[in-house]
Amino acid sequence: MENKIVSPNPHIHTRTSTASLMLDVIIALAPSMALSVLFYGWSALMLLALGAGFCVLLEWAIAKWMMRKPQLFCPSAAALTGLLLALNMPPSTPWWTVLIGAIVAIGVAKMSFGGMGQNVFNPAITGRVFLLISFPQQLTTWDIPKGFIGGIDAVSGPTVLSQAKLGGAASVADLDLFRTFLLNPGGSLGEISGLALLVGFVYLLCRKVVKPWIPLSIFVTVAVVSSIFHLCNPELYTGPVFNLVAGGLILGACFMATDYVTSPMSDWGGVLFGAGIGLIVMMIRYFGSYPEGVSFAILLMNMTVPLIDRAFHRKKFGYGRA
Amino acid sequence: MTGTFLWTVGILAALGFILALILFFIAKKFKVEEDPRIDLVEKALPGANCGGCGFAGCRAFADAAVKAPNLDNNFCPVGGNEVMKQVAQILGYEIKQQSPKVAVLRCNGSCENRPRINTYDGVQSCRVKAALYAGDTLCPYGCLGCGDCVAACKFGALSINPETLLPEVDEEKCTACGACTKACPKGLIELRNKGPRSMRVYVACSNKDKGMYTRKACKAGCIGCGKCAKVCAQEAITIENNLAYIDYTKCKLCKKCVAECPIGAIHAVNFPVLKPKPAPAEESKKEAANE
Amino acid sequence: MSKLTFHIGGVHPDDAKLSHACAIEVLPLPPVVYVSMAQHLGAPATPCVAAGDRVKVGTVIGEPSGFISGYVHSPASGKVKSVGPRKDLAGHNVMHVEIEVDPEGEEWEEDIDRSDTLVTEIPTDHAAVVEKIKQCGVVGLGGATFPTHVKLNPAPGSKADCLLVNGSECEPYLTSDYRIMLERPQEIIVGAAIMQMVLGGCRCVIAIEENKPEAIKTMEAALAQLGYKNMEIAVLKKKYPQGGEKQLIDAVLGRQVKSGALPISVGCVVQNVATSLAVYEAVQKNKPLITNTLTITGDCLPASAQHNYLFRIGMPLSYIAEQAGGVPESAAKIVSGGPMMGKAVANLDATTVKGTASLLFLSKETTKRHPEGYCIRCAHCADSCPMGLEPFLINRLYKAGDLEGMEAASAQDCIECGCCQYSCPASIPLVDNLRMAKGQVMAVIKNRRSNGK
Repeated sequence: MENKIVSPNPHIHTRTSTASLMLDVIIALAPSMALSVLFYGWSALMLLALGAGFCVLLEWAIAKWMMRKPQLFCPSAAALTGLLLALNMPPSTPWWTVLIGAIVAIGVAKMSFGGMGQNVFNPAITGRVFLLISFPQQLTTWDIPKGFIGGIDAVSGPTVLSQAKLGGAASVADLDLFRTFLLNPGGSLGEISGLALLVGFVYLLCRKVVKPWIPLSIFVTVAVVSSIFHLCNPELYTGPVFNLVAGGLILGACFMATDYVTSPMSDWGGVLFGAGIGLIVMMIRYFGSYPEGVSFAILLMNMTVPLIDRAFHRKKFGYGRA
Repeated sequence: MTGTFLWTVGILAALGFILALILFFIAKKFKVEEDPRIDLVEKALPGANCGGCGFAGCRAFADAAVKAPNLDNNFCPVGGNEVMKQVAQILGYEIKQQSPKVAVLRCNGSCENRPRINTYDGVQSCRVKAALYAGDTLCPYGCLGCGDCVAACKFGALSINPETLLPEVDEEKCTACGACTKACPKGLIELRNKGPRSMRVYVACSNKDKGMYTRKACKAGCIGCGKCAKVCAQEAITIENNLAYIDYTKCKLCKKCVAECPIGAIHAVNFPVLKPKPAPAEESKKEAANE
Repeated sequence: MSKLTFHIGGVHPDDAKLSHACAIEVLPLPPVVYVSMAQHLGAPATPCVAAGDRVKVGTVIGEPSGFISGYVHSPASGKVKSVGPRKDLAGHNVMHVEIEVDPEGEEWEEDIDRSDTLVTEIPTDHAAVVEKIKQCGVVGLGGATFPTHVKLNPAPGSKADCLLVNGSECEPYLTSDYRIMLERPQEIIVGAAIMQMVLGGCRCVIAIEENKPEAIKTMEAALAQLGYKNMEIAVLKKKYPQGGEKQLIDAVLGRQVKSGALPISVGCVVQNVATSLAVYEAVQKNKPLITNTLTITGDCLPASAQHNYLFRIGMPLSYIAEQAGGVPESAAKIVSGGPMMGKAVANLDATTVKGTASLLFLSKETTKRHPEGYCIRCAHCADSCPMGLEPFLINRLYKAGDLEGMEAASAQDCIECGCCQYSCPASIPLVDNLRMAKGQVMAVIKNRRSNGK
């Protein structure tokens, strides 16, 4: 008979693993991905597949050949990065930009910091911001390719956020915000439907993969800040509902800001982190030169995570109330 | 425009001057007077900060050496007599010569000698393993093989032999700093006299169980039979708790005990192979001892 | 009644109470028993018999050797064969008394009442009862085997206002407490009433988790029938580690025991249901603690091989496994105790002690550790820690050797419940390292305290 195993307690383990957690997030993104493929057709499918596939390949190669630590490679995590990167791009983006984005995301933002769990910045967002700065034209051209479902009345042209930037709040006043939330072809792949993103996020909450504090804090901060400005000058500053549903806020708040590695580990730290993101997003939207600021806001707040983790700790048992 | 420019330069210059003044006075007020010899002694030391001397690092040792009335209690095992001579020169002290030492593993429970009866599946750390249970063999005293000593060694002198799963000491690299002796939860590593031309005789076992149990656990375990003690002319060998121990200050390296040990638990290392062919019995003993 | 639970952390492992329907069977005695002298927390007992002595069932064979220590009694009648070291569960040498059991019939000490009649009358002499509990070698059977008489004798100045009887059995697989609550509820309740009297007639709460509805019903019925005052049954939510002393007090009373303090500091004494039964037998029947109930279970045992046994101390584990049908081939690990906090058995020849609660046979899939991955900062460990600690942080500080940092992060408060490691998706061996960190910090604190004095 084989020798028995002896080890310290505990002797059982949850079925959850890093890979399964990442897979859960991918499943949560499924509704959005499905909608974007339906409405944007082959080009969306190609971007998603290319992003995921190339990120997986790249991480495997770097882990194996450059870092000589094959155990660093986690396919589902790499695929998730690739999918998030693709979801943050307009459907008309040329295919090669995704490859460059993947190299920056996996190679620079993730693996050069030591791989899984070591990165300071969210890899997908780093990739996207790198592309946004390097190829502004490709990343802000919103041509809508032909989808599998025809006859949608989407308009090519600037997004609502750009309109608001140029013409102030008045220029987007007649927008049907509820429809924008339900289905809004014309932005990045992942921004197609806020509802689909929220459905995915609720799935994550039910599976206890993430906690709601970071997104909630972002939404509340955005709503509060935009309400104040909107009340001061409704002609110039867009209102809270518009700011919540427009652009990549829901995608960023629910799926990018909640990334384990680059967000604080305590609940209250998460609230502060979210508040910071919300504030920076609104500052960029109102006063910055870019129409959208979710990516920049998350990157900036990523830098503060070590500090937040130092400042916020959990309430220990036996120290507070008697 | 020019006004703004001048103002900026002026304010910054004034600020710089005030800060410089503050720094100057603080530096004066809180200046620490230090014996300059501490720096000299520290320079003479190897600078490994290994803690082998019992101090936190080389600087702490230098500080203590300078303050001490003599060097009797301060010895740098890494630098050895050479370095201590220099230190003594700087401080004008006498030193006692200490013979160089080397780390010796008092266990020979290789995979072959000591069959494994269970598989350990925890953190690869001897400390954790020792806290959990007696070990994956029947011997509760022997090496656990997770390499805490290897991790503790700052000189790369220890490595786990993948075949025996025991640590091996590289005598060239070992500085006898003693870090491994503290790291081993079973206290298996001893600093022993390096010996003339590195020749040493020692008992490679720490099992205090009765002979019957020891034999069941390990082929190379000392059973405390006492034959070695009887044969030793120097009375260097004592048997305590069913375990033989050779006092290296008394041992004259005659190797009689090595030949006498029925188990081969006494190791004689670095002895030159005798040119005239040794008796076959002795050779086989030696082989057993050296494995 | 609203369901209670503790407020910080906790995990929900699979229940896996496979043997819950198996009635308790009495194990026959093996030809030889080996009685360990280290059956309780604290100093091991000193053997007071020598080879050749004749002993009866219940004869004292080990005497306490310190304040926190206990008596050990012979579980069988026969001849003492030897007194000497023998390997325990972990392979360490521990003093054992080897007794050759009389093959024909057993002889009990005369003053032990072996009848089944329930004695419900509660004695009123505190000191006598505590002395009896001590004389009968009763220890806490919830896992820590802390001598019960010490716990029931709070230091002067502290007074208990609530006795908690722990029937939560929150560890997966284990069913021995459940079975005794089903089969011997009245005795448990009388035992609880005795302890209640010893503590000065305080309130008494018997806490049971909701996943044992039968036990709750039976215990409630028994309590109603016996009609003791100031005693109630509390139903708890199912959550591990509910049976931890501090967690149970938090769950039932909402009081937090301060870091480093004992439950008595918040006026509580916690005893296990099995201890309560032992107290009953000791006080009412004069029977020393030589038996306990143990569960033979595991995910690689068929339903027919699951058992709940009433065993005598000193039976070798290998003998019990044999009685239950042998060690299954597919068992990769044998655990004594629950799967979260139990000890892996390194030596199946070890003998049962007072606190032995189970023998688990776990399959490789269930129990084999996954290779250690990389921390992804998911904070699941911190979320599940019932002490509100941050295991990931303590783990990192331990690896860096930062003692002060570990103390600031309260490594000393770790209860080693295993929640963090259980829930870690990267399978990082947090408990292994935290236990070491705790030990190091405790040593520092102890040192400081002794220096301060």
